[in-house]
Amino acid sequence: MNGQARALIESMPNDIGTEAVGPLSFDEAFTLHHRAVFRTARAVVRDSAIAEDVTQEVFLRLYRNLNATPGEELLRAWLLRVTLNVARNTLRGQSRSMVRDNEYHKSTAETGFSVDAPEEDYERRMAIEEARRALDKIKEPMRSCLLLKQQGLSYREIAISLSLKETNIGSLVARGRKEFARVYGKIGGKR
Amino acid sequence: MTRCLDEAKLQSYFDGELSLDMMESVTSHLASCVTCAAAARELEEESALVMSALAAEFETSVPTERLRERIDAAVLGDRVAAAEATRMSSGLAAFFSGLFNFGTQRTLGYASLAVVVAFAAIFAAVKLNSTTNTVNNTQPNTSVAVVTPPAAPIEKVATPVSTGTTAPVEIPAPQKPSRIVNKPSYQVAKYQPSVSPKPAPVKLFPGERSYLQTIAKLDSTIKSNQKDMRPALQVEYQRNLAVVDRAIAATRSAAKSNPNDPDAADFMFAAYQSKVDLLNTIADARLGGGRGH
Repeated sequence: MNGQARALIESMPNDIGTEAVGPLSFDEAFTLHHRAVFRTARAVVRDSAIAEDVTQEVFLRLYRNLNATPGEELLRAWLLRVTLNVARNTLRGQSRSMVRDNEYHKSTAETGFSVDAPEEDYERRMAIEEARRALDKIKEPMRSCLLLKQQGLSYREIAISLSLKETNIGSLVARGRKEFARVYGKIGGKR
Repeated sequence: MTRCLDEAKLQSYFDGELSLDMMESVTSHLASCVTCAAAARELEEESALVMSALAAEFETSVPTERLRERIDAAVLGDRVAAAEATRMSSGLAAFFSGLFNFGTQRTLGYASLAVVVAFAAIFAAVKLNSTTNTVNNTQPNTSVAVVTPPAAPIEKVATPVSTGTTAPVEIPAPQKPSRIVNKPSYQVAKYQPSVSPKPAPVKLFPGERSYLQTIAKLDSTIKSNQKDMRPALQVEYQRNLAVVDRAIAATRSAAKSNPNDPDAADFMFAAYQSKVDLLNTIADARLGGGRGH
């Protein structure tokens, strides 16, 4: 085996393929996964306040189903699957509003959650907007594949989250990535 | 030389999703095939682009502490609700299960019978006192009393809201509650005309009207926004509202029966004020940036 392959294998995330160590406590689950849940929710609903609502609902469901949830190994996939469902259902009853998100950013800045300088904050929001517009153009399930891949999920986890076949994920990620690069380039991405 | 790589395999290779054997064969193929090597380079570039484009989305701060607080509160609320539900089902529901065993039809029959008896009593009271006040004072109470036993806890909360706010303001009192309250009290409304076909103006305490108007206004504001109120908040709101409404009902009847006691009226106004405060808080939370927390 040559060096490149060995390096690739060594860089593989440890959680791929490791067997369940046992059920996580609710606190551990929150600590480990709330970021992924919140970010995935926000990527779908495009609103931090609604993403908080979604996150709360997801963990409430985890709490209610603690005995019925999969072990540590697949918990993240389970959580993100619930997240995507809750977020989409929420979206159906909501109108997307950039204004409210801006207000939210203002309020979180006041309470000290965001430490960015205003200009940096603005630039970042523009970057997010651009990426979101590109993402909007990508069809499902490629878009969700891309989002979950970006969060570091394995193909197996993505397959569970989206109820797809694991063998199809590679091709879906590839197509999503291609499409994104094409559209994002048109919208005015950096390259 | 092995077969050229398809898109999916190449992607899986870079995502570290291939078996060891496959990894090795792809690596050796890439070393010998110009086309695939070019495709791999393109893939790497595109991946880097996607990575950096989506980085902003996934690197923004996550309000961990606030989420933690919210979820703890929600879990606590869930636990309380579950405990209440079990207590209800073991206590109250068991107690009333006898009633439900009759089937709804007969329960309704008993309920309407109770209504008839109640109104016979009211009618007697009216005859004796020939004051209209008694009618208006007792009527909402009886309807509540009749509805309560078979009704679910939520309806118990809802009833005082309707009688407390809407009824006294824009009377004819008898009809109003009947539309909101459920079946049994509908029969209350049916009987009503025979009791008070004569004008029955509600005698409000001086200053009471302005409270009622304020409350009605706030109430309609909140109602129109109620859909997107968070469930946890809504539960808390309904619970507090029930408490305040009970306080108002109690202080109001105390004030009625002791018209010369200024303290009794003061207590009633204090109860009204706390309802206004509660509604204000909720309305503000809805209209303002209440989402922040």
